[in-house]
Amino acid sequence: MFAAIARRLAGMLAVMFIVATMVFFLTRLAPGDPASLMLGDQATAADIAELRKTYGLDQPVVVQYLLWLKEIASGNLGQSIFLQRPVLQAIGERAEPTFFLALFSILIASLIGIPCGIVSAVWRGQKADQAVSGLAMLAASIPSFWLGLLFIQFFAVRLGWFPVAGYGDPGAGLAQRLYHLILPATVLGIVNSALITRFTRASMLDVLSEDYVRTARAKGLPENRIVLRHALGNALVPIITVVGLTAALLVGGAIITETVFGLPGIGNLVVSAVLRRDYPVIQGALIVIAGIYVVINFTIDVIYTLVDPRVKT
Amino acid sequence: MLDLDKDMPQQGWSRRDLAKFIAGAGLFATLPAGGPALAQGAKSANLAMIGEPQTLDPMASTADLVSGIMMHVYESLYTWDSDLNPKPMLAADMPKVSANGLGYEIEIRKGVKLHSGRDLDVEDVIASLRRWMDMTPRGKAVAASVDKMEARGSHGLAISLKAPVPALLTHMALPSGYAAIMAKESIATPLVSFVGTGPYKFQERRPDQFVILTKFDGYSARSEPANGYAGKREAKITELRFIPVPNPNTRVEGVVAGQYHFAEQLPVDSYKRIASTASIKPLLVMPYGFPYFVLNTKQGPFADKKIRQAYQLALNSTEMMLAAFGDERFFKATAAHFPKASPFNSEAGGAAYNKGDGAAAKKLLAEAKYDGSVIRILNSKQFEFHHRMALVMAENLKEAGFKVQLDVVDWATLVQRRADTNLYDVYVTHSSFLPEPMLSPPQLGVGAPGGWETPAKTAALAAFNAESDPVKRGALWAKVQEVVYDEVPYIRVGDFAALSATSARMTGLVPMPSPAFWNVDLA
Repeated sequence: MFAAIARRLAGMLAVMFIVATMVFFLTRLAPGDPASLMLGDQATAADIAELRKTYGLDQPVVVQYLLWLKEIASGNLGQSIFLQRPVLQAIGERAEPTFFLALFSILIASLIGIPCGIVSAVWRGQKADQAVSGLAMLAASIPSFWLGLLFIQFFAVRLGWFPVAGYGDPGAGLAQRLYHLILPATVLGIVNSALITRFTRASMLDVLSEDYVRTARAKGLPENRIVLRHALGNALVPIITVVGLTAALLVGGAIITETVFGLPGIGNLVVSAVLRRDYPVIQGALIVIAGIYVVINFTIDVIYTLVDPRVKT
Repeated sequence: MLDLDKDMPQQGWSRRDLAKFIAGAGLFATLPAGGPALAQGAKSANLAMIGEPQTLDPMASTADLVSGIMMHVYESLYTWDSDLNPKPMLAADMPKVSANGLGYEIEIRKGVKLHSGRDLDVEDVIASLRRWMDMTPRGKAVAASVDKMEARGSHGLAISLKAPVPALLTHMALPSGYAAIMAKESIATPLVSFVGTGPYKFQERRPDQFVILTKFDGYSARSEPANGYAGKREAKITELRFIPVPNPNTRVEGVVAGQYHFAEQLPVDSYKRIASTASIKPLLVMPYGFPYFVLNTKQGPFADKKIRQAYQLALNSTEMMLAAFGDERFFKATAAHFPKASPFNSEAGGAAYNKGDGAAAKKLLAEAKYDGSVIRILNSKQFEFHHRMALVMAENLKEAGFKVQLDVVDWATLVQRRADTNLYDVYVTHSSFLPEPMLSPPQLGVGAPGGWETPAKTAALAAFNAESDPVKRGALWAKVQEVVYDEVPYIRVGDFAALSATSARMTGLVPMPSPAFWNVDLA
């Protein structure tokens, strides 16, 4: 068991190294220069060269890469060119809204998606299935920015139930900050529920055709118990996978939703950094996001073993 | 064999079971409908800005977003009135200028308090101006002509120039990468404390959430009536909250819903909605800026002046502005580079502007023996109006017989590529409107993208830059404008407006390039 975990951890480190290397060179391959952008169109070539020197951008790319690797090995993700603060601090300042948004969204998506998937599977081909499948298709097709603007228009502007955007006034307590997440989390929950519905349906259909389900029915067990305990329990592995991966995706920043709802999250940070070619922030944020993916994947594997002992870590 | 699809509902769950199941799931999914009230003091203003300022150091960036916030904290020696003429702010009066235009004596107002509580003196001013000349592109340009800066007593400043800088006061008044006066002990790079003299002082910044400025009780106001940024400033709102809201539609919805008291740079198609909503009112600033196309005069087809002239003849500026801004309320297609109120207003050379004459352009191309080389139009969709203008431009050019290629890239790529004349023939950009010709576009200076350097340019600008008399400068600018229309280093397409919206409760906001919230109140 411990040897397996150690192997997985070594694999995780290797993945992180590969990600770091790819992120570094891909950002440098993209055209664009942070110094030119920062100084504006009045800057001379000498001004730009001076700023590039300040941030070490005048060094050969391989030298920059090695210096950066040395820094991240000691836990330093570097200094943002535009934000003039450490990258880790910039990420930390935006972690809370992104984390809670991801958490609430995945909860809402699961609470919609899993029951709908079960209903769809149990009543396969019936009206309930058609309705659920149609709605899931609709949810998957709706662009999140459009649904976001629709929700803002209806729930915030017309009804006045929720704030339009932002993450609370200065001095707002946690409750008020979380209140600002209800609309965006609902939007993301609805959009992401589609995939969970489809996976739950498919997984449940597989399980419901198994012999042990037929046996349970022959034994006269109540249908609720058969579906929710025997079938759902065994259908959980792929559902956990899709829920976990969706969560990882959301923790990485729901870029469009964050922008529409003016949330100070990691998605917004990464997009701004890409547009400004703020290399340290792009690199740092992507490494953190990749790290979260790796950890969530690892956690999913551990959960597999808990829900299905046949799966070994 | 059991048919699950058919048999399940009959064998197992009834419709009632299904209803119970959905209701149960719905109960879990239901989130609390209410929430804490959005507490807000009556004198706090929520101001929705287009994004997060990259820095709060007004000298570290030329972005309007930075200066738009920090102009409330830092003041300059001179500032603009409503016609964008320089007027004294921290200076007691207009400077005494020597007859040869090389000596400036500036008296600094006495009794002006810094946010730290200390009185402002000339040492703060000199330290701040030195930093401005070291750090900012425009300050560096001025520094090249400065011989020395000296204190004259505690509140007198003497500037000696090596060569006349007729636009010196405009440079000092420009609220972008500006000559902000700060407490000398706070000066550092990067700035860690923001100690100025403005009617608001820095309170708190939470990245991507807000920058908060609060009223400075010790503010020393001028006595003249308010006029643009000049004259008396009074902080009537206790707290200003600058909130980054990058999505323009969210800014519109936020101001309609009452969450924001002000929202800047809104989409022009939201005008009707804003104008028809009783709780808010639109605010138009015209001219706010101008789009312009920079031609590669160094190499490629546009190295030939005749081909550039044909290009100019082919363009229909009204069509391009209409495509970009949608409604004539929001733009003006005009040959004059400066508005009527400006001393630089002139139609000189404007006969070639906005012709949209494909046939005449085609004739000129034949004369120039245009070989059919592709014209690469470098543009970015990051500014949607740039791209829309590029599309119309391409059609205008095709009509005239040009072969065209649209190179659509992101803004960062465009900024890098425009420095390399191998990579484009013309690029699309824009500038804020500035009252002094030498401030924008940079093609009027030396070494700017496009590579325009000709004897006619040098002669016209040398005469213009050597003259200090405002009336004579107006006439000399007309000559520069003529050269621009003749040599076509860039096309100034027209003027555009900025649409903002304010709460109907907000009073006193004056249409200026960057909104200033002193003298503004909330009813």
